[in-house]
Amino acid sequence: MSTPDQTPSGAAAAASPASAASPDRAPAQLEFVDVVKRYPGASAATIESLSLDVPAGEILVLVGPSGCGKTTVMRMVNRMIEPSGGQILIDGEPNTTRPAAELRRDIGYVIQQTGLFPHRTIAENVATVPKLLGWPKARIADRTAELLELVGLDPEFAGRYPAQLSGGQRQRVGVARALAVDPPLMLMDEPFGAIDPITRERLQNEFLRLQETLKRTIVFVTHDIDEAIKMGDRIAVMRPGGHLAQYATPAELLLSPADEFVEQFVGADRALKRLALGRVRDLRLEETVRVRYGDPTAWVREQLRTSQVPYPLVVDADGRPLAWLDDDDLRGERVVEGVGSAVATVERDDILRDAFSDVLAHRVQFAAVVDGHGAVIGILSSDAVARELAPGPAPVEPVEAGAGPGTGS
Amino acid sequence: MSTPLAILGIFGDAIDFIFNAREARTGGAEVGGLGEFASLTGKHLLVTVAAVGLASLVALPLGLYLGHKRRGGFLAVSVSNVGRAVPSLVLIALFIAFLGVGFANVALALALLAIPPILTNAYVGVTQVDRDVIDAAVGQGLTDGQVMRQIELPLALPLIFGGLRTSVVNVIATATIAPIAGVVTLGDPIISQSVYGDAGKLAAAIVVALLAVVAEVGLGAAQRAVTPAPLRGTPGATRRGRFFVKTAGKGLSTS
Amino acid sequence: MSGALGSIPLLAQGGEGFVRNRESGSGASCVSDDGVCPAWIVDHFDRYMEPLGRHVLLTVVALAIGFSISFTLALLAHRRRWLIAPVVQLTGILYTIPSLALFFLLLPITGRGFLTAEIALVSYTLLIIFRNVVTGLDGVPSDVVDAARGMGLNDRQVLWRVEIPLALPEIAAGLRIAATTTVGLASLAFFAGAGGLGDPIYADLNFKSNVLVAGGLCVLLAIALDLLVLAVQRLLTPWTRAVPA
Ligand SMILES: Nc1ncnc2c1ncn2[C@@H]1O[C@H](COP(=O)(O)OP(=O)(O)O)[C@@H](O)[C@H]1O
Ligand SMILES: [Mg+2]
Repeated sequence: MSTPDQTPSGAAAAASPASAASPDRAPAQLEFVDVVKRYPGASAATIESLSLDVPAGEILVLVGPSGCGKTTVMRMVNRMIEPSGGQILIDGEPNTTRPAAELRRDIGYVIQQTGLFPHRTIAENVATVPKLLGWPKARIADRTAELLELVGLDPEFAGRYPAQLSGGQRQRVGVARALAVDPPLMLMDEPFGAIDPITRERLQNEFLRLQETLKRTIVFVTHDIDEAIKMGDRIAVMRPGGHLAQYATPAELLLSPADEFVEQFVGADRALKRLALGRVRDLRLEETVRVRYGDPTAWVREQLRTSQVPYPLVVDADGRPLAWLDDDDLRGERVVEGVGSAVATVERDDILRDAFSDVLAHRVQFAAVVDGHGAVIGILSSDAVARELAPGPAPVEPVEAGAGPGTGS
Repeated sequence: MSTPLAILGIFGDAIDFIFNAREARTGGAEVGGLGEFASLTGKHLLVTVAAVGLASLVALPLGLYLGHKRRGGFLAVSVSNVGRAVPSLVLIALFIAFLGVGFANVALALALLAIPPILTNAYVGVTQVDRDVIDAAVGQGLTDGQVMRQIELPLALPLIFGGLRTSVVNVIATATIAPIAGVVTLGDPIISQSVYGDAGKLAAAIVVALLAVVAEVGLGAAQRAVTPAPLRGTPGATRRGRFFVKTAGKGLSTS
Repeated sequence: MSGALGSIPLLAQGGEGFVRNRESGSGASCVSDDGVCPAWIVDHFDRYMEPLGRHVLLTVVALAIGFSISFTLALLAHRRRWLIAPVVQLTGILYTIPSLALFFLLLPITGRGFLTAEIALVSYTLLIIFRNVVTGLDGVPSDVVDAARGMGLNDRQVLWRVEIPLALPEIAAGLRIAATTTVGLASLAFFAGAGGLGDPIYADLNFKSNVLVAGGLCVLLAIALDLLVLAVQRLLTPWTRAVPA
C-alpha cells in the first residue's frame, strides 16, 4: 500500500481529525449501483446486478438463507472482495478511489468469529486502527478506555488476552475495536451468530442503545429473520442466486411480503412478529372502573354498564393494581378484601410482543398499564392488539413515525 | 578451467572404483569392485535390519499400547527428545568405551537410535484416530483387542510406516560410522582412506547416499501403499496430506 | 579385506589438533585401564574447551544460515503455494543423504575444513525449519487474518504483525529440533577437518573418561541450545501462557 503506516500521512490525518474520538464524524451514505459479482470458475453470478440505497445513520440488514451471497455483498464494500461490475459509492464517492487498506481503516469491521488477535491484549486489539493511523499514545490510551466503557467491559480486561474472555466479552471487544476511530460506516457479519441466545439478546439490545447515540451507517448480515427485524432500519431480503427479493422497512416487510419466497422466509407467524416492532405506548389504551376493597358492589355494577372493559380493577391507595373482579366477586354487599384474580402489569415502553404474551398468560385478558411509580394509567386489551395487527388502511403506527425499534427512548 | 575437469575426474574415478577392483594403496590386496561393494552393502543392510527389527520389537507394541490407552504421551515425547539430544557418534562411542566393539553392540546402539521415531509415531498414529470412531466401534460391541487390530492399527499404519522410514534412514546414515566399532559397513572405505584411497572414499560416499535415498523413496512409496485409499483422497487433499504425513513421518514431534 | 579397526589410521584422519596425553597427572593406573577417572577429568577438562567452542561455532553458524535461508523460502512459499512441494522434495533429499557421505562428496569441491562442514550442516536444517515455518503460518486462524485485512493492514503488516507472531511457537519448535540435530551432526564435522567435540571422542574411543566428558558436553550443549530457544520463545509469546477464563 502506498501510504506509510504509523506516520500520520495527509490522508490519514484528514480521516482522523482530533475530534474523531467523539461521535461527531458524520455517518456515511452508502449506495450500491448495479453491483455484480461473478467468482472465477463459477457458472452463474453470485450477485446479479444489485442496486441499493442506504441513508446515512441507518442499519441495513442483509438477510437470506445461507449461501445466498450476503457476506459477498458486505465484503465488497471494503473491497475484501472486488466486484466484477458496478460501483459502490460511499458519500457519493466510488470506494475504488482510495487504496484498499486506507479505505478499510475508515470502515468498522466485525465478524462472527471475532478475529481478535490472540497475541495482543484487549487494549492492543482495540488500538489496532488508531495505531495504524499514527495517533499519539496518550490519545490511544484515552480512546481505548472510553471504548471499553462504551461496550460495557470492565477496565481490568484491558490487559488480558482474548483467550481469557468469554464469547460474549470477545464480541464486545470486536465491536469496540471496530468503533475505534468512530468510522462513518460499519460492516458486521453475523456478529452475534456464535453466542448463546440470552447473551445474544443482551448484546443486541446494548448495540441498539449504542447506535441511538452513535448513529453510524451499518451493514449488518444475518440469516436470522428475527434478528433482522429487530436490528434493521431497512432489510434487504436476498434469495439464492444473489437476487434482491425485497428491500423494505421491517414493518413493510411483515405487512406485505413481496412474493412467496419472502413470505415463507419471514415465516407463518409474521403477524406475531410485527408485535416485536411496536410498544405499548403505540396503542390507544382503554379505561375501566377502578374500585377499592370495601366499596359497595351495587355502585360497582352501576359503573360497569358504561365501562369499555367488562371487569372492575381493584387498586390501592396509590393507584397500583391489585386484582380483577368478576361477577362472583360482586355477590356480597361490599367488595371483600382479597378477592379477585391476578393482574398482568405492563409498562408503556414494553415491547408489544412481551406485553401481549403477559396478557395471554392471565385469566383476565386485559393488562394494567402502569407508570414509573406503578400506578395504573390505562388498560391494554387483547382486542386492541388484534386490531393493530389486522391489515387495514392505516399502517402500524411506529412505521408512520418512520422509526424502527432502535429509535425512540 | 582445470578444476571442474579435475572434479569430474575424481568422481569418474570413484565410479570406476565401484565397478572395477584395483590394487590397494597399501599394496597387496585387491580393493573396490562390484563384489566388494555388494558385500559391504549387504553388511550395511544387515546391521540396519537387525537394529530396526530390534527397535520395532520393543517400540511398536509399546507405542500401540500406550496409544490405545491414551496414556504415556509424556513418555513418548520425552523418548524422542532425549533421543535427539544424544548424538549418534556419542552413543556409539559410549558403547565402544563401556561395552566394547562388535556386531551385537553396534546393532544394540543403532536400535536405541531407532526406537524414538518408531515409538512416537506409533503412539501418535493411534491417538490421532478419531475418538468418535472408536466410540462407535465399542458401541457396536467390538472388544479392546478388536478395536486395536481392526481400527487403530489400520488407521495408524501410515504413521507407523513413517516412523520406520525415519528410523531406517537414520540407521543407514549412522551405520556408516560402524567401522570404528569393528563392523565393516559401507563406511569402511570412507574411514580407512589409507587402504582405499580417495577414489574408494568417494565411491563409498556415493553408494551410501544412494542407499539412503533409495530407502527413503522406497519406504515412502510403501507408506503411501498402506495408506487406506479413502485417506489418500483427492489430488488437492493428497498434496496437503502428504506434506503433513511427512511431518509426522519424520518423527519430528514439536513439543 | 579391510582392517579398518585400529587407532593409527583413524587418528591419521580424524583427531589432529587433539593431542592424546593420558599419562600425565594423577590416577595413572585408572587412566591406563581406560576407566572413569574423576581426577584425570578435572586435570584435563580445559583441553575440551577449544573443541567445545568450535562445536558451538559450527552449530550456531549453521543454524543462523539455515534459518535465514529456510525462513525466506517459507515466506515466499506461503504466498506461492506451488513452491512448497519442490522445496520440500529438494531439502528432503538433502536431509536424507547421510552427513558423513555428504562431507566426503563435498571434499573434492570445497576441500577440507569449516566451509565443507557448514554446507552439510546447513543443508540438514533446511527441511526442518522450512516445514515448521510453513506449518506455523498455515496454522494462523483465517478469521484473524481476515479481520486484520478488514481493518486495513496491508500484506506486509498482516505478515509481520499477525501471521509471524502467531506462528512463533511452531517456528521455535522447528528451531529447537534443528538445534539438537545440528549439535549431533556437528560431532561428525571433524571428518571434514572442521574440528568440534567429535575430535576428542574419536581420538580415544576406548578411554571411558574421554568419551564421557566429550560426549557429555555434546549432550549438554544440545540441551542448553534447546532450552535457550524455548526460553526466547516463551519471552516472545506471553499470550500462549495466558490462563483461559
Ligand atoms: N471465494 C469464493 N470463491 C468462489 N465462490 C465463493 C467464494 N466465496 C463465496 N462463494 C460462493 O458464493 C455464494 C455466496 O457466498 P456468501 O456470500 O458467503 O453467502 P452467505 O454469506 O449469504 O452465506 C456461495 O454459493 C459460495 O459458495
Ligand atoms: Mg456469510
